[in-house]
Amino acid sequence: MIKEISKNAIHSLWLPVALVASWWIFSTNSQDPYFPPLRVIWEQFVYLWVFDNVPVHVVPSLINLFSGFFFGVFIGIAGGVVIGTNQGVARFVEPAIDFIRSIPAVATVPIFIMIFGLSYEMRIAAIAFAAIFPTMLAVIQGMHSNNPTLLDTAKVFRLTPFQTLVRVRIPAAGPIIFSGIQVSLQVAFVVTIASELLGSGFGIGAFTLIATDAFLITDAWTGVILMGTLGFLVNVIFNLVERRALRWYLVSKKLS
Amino acid sequence: MDYQTPTGIKHVLSDISFSLLEGEFASIVGPSGVGKTTLLRLLTGLMKPTSGVIRINGQEVNSPPPGLAVVLQDYTRSLMPWLTVEKNISLPLKRLGLSKAETAETIELVLTEVGLSGNQKNYPWQLSGGMQQRVAIARAIAVRPQLLIMDEPFASVDAQTRFDLEDLVLKVRDDFKITTAMVTHDIDEAVYLSDKVVVLYGSPANVKEIVKVDLPYPRNQVASRGREEFAELRTKIYAQVRGLQ
Repeated sequence: MIKEISKNAIHSLWLPVALVASWWIFSTNSQDPYFPPLRVIWEQFVYLWVFDNVPVHVVPSLINLFSGFFFGVFIGIAGGVVIGTNQGVARFVEPAIDFIRSIPAVATVPIFIMIFGLSYEMRIAAIAFAAIFPTMLAVIQGMHSNNPTLLDTAKVFRLTPFQTLVRVRIPAAGPIIFSGIQVSLQVAFVVTIASELLGSGFGIGAFTLIATDAFLITDAWTGVILMGTLGFLVNVIFNLVERRALRWYLVSKKLS
Repeated sequence: MDYQTPTGIKHVLSDISFSLLEGEFASIVGPSGVGKTTLLRLLTGLMKPTSGVIRINGQEVNSPPPGLAVVLQDYTRSLMPWLTVEKNISLPLKRLGLSKAETAETIELVLTEVGLSGNQKNYPWQLSGGMQQRVAIARAIAVRPQLLIMDEPFASVDAQTRFDLEDLVLKVRDDFKITTAMVTHDIDEAVYLSDKVVVLYGSPANVKEIVKVDLPYPRNQVASRGREEFAELRTKIYAQVRGLQ
């Protein structure tokens, strides 16, 4: 077991480690102002982000990210359930959904700026809006993919519509829904950063942009690395939650 | 019962009339495609007849009635893999308004009945196919149904498990006195388990004959199947299903 885990760790870690190591080695004597040595970036990273600037820039970004994400996923699940369980509604609204979700999420930010101004509300609304659609489409698809035998069983045992939904239909669609939520999370992260590039003094996106404008290239590099690290960690946490929630699915698939 | 098909209306079931007395075990047999599954969907109220009525205790069936339980062939799809065995069994019990203790008691009782006591916390996919079908039977009897309907319940398990499950059904029936209707394509099984066998034949299908099975109880795989009446009955029903009689 432990042997297997460490084997997996080696398999998934060797490439990132090799990349960082070669970056470190090849940039050691770099004179290029745009590509400072990784050692310098690292020192600046520790100086900036452990932990003086965390409350100013990281915390607001994460608050925006998670409020928008949860809000969007909530609406996405609710809307997906309504649309996915009503053939009539689905036919009516699906073309509109297909149109809206084809708009790159970042491109909607200016519209939210017009509506809400350069405010927290604007950022959270833009993030939530972007997060709605991947989840909603996954829930609709999940509802449609519910197995008829399962639904018949629920009917014969006279489960209430609410019980059928919460105990049968949503769990059965769990694997599809979770992959939708994961896409929502990724999109929410992109919009979080993008929304900070406009008219904000706080947040990792704002920090990086301001540093770039001020030719503080090393600072900008630390911002980029921080974003990557946060994005990675958020995804790791998501995968842990998913593994816990879909344990029945993952294990039963492995057994069969 | 009519179906709308791309080539027009298909008349599937025509003159189907049989009654099932309380505590009786009836099997429905017939050639494949005769409409056994359609009949079963009508009986469970999952489908409405295009003409005629289905009655259980004089009540017309238009949607799944209370006091009905089913065991389906495909146990991997009828048990919820995200719920443990006990949660699977307690799901239909929620409507009956039992207390927590009563629910746990019922679960223990029915699991003991099907020989799976102690498996409350297991997930269905941790059990073998035969054990999963036992859980489905336990879930069905837990609601104390007036009518139990089974759709080819043993078609997806191996032969040995099949015999074990047949005997389990006989035992459950004896202990719980549940009226049962079972669809099967296995004529031996129909004779072994039933008080009467309803033979469907034709297109549109109608009841060809209702064969009474007088084999004495308790039945047993070796002795009952070895009796002369058993052989006679199965030959007779086989010939009818094949359209030879």
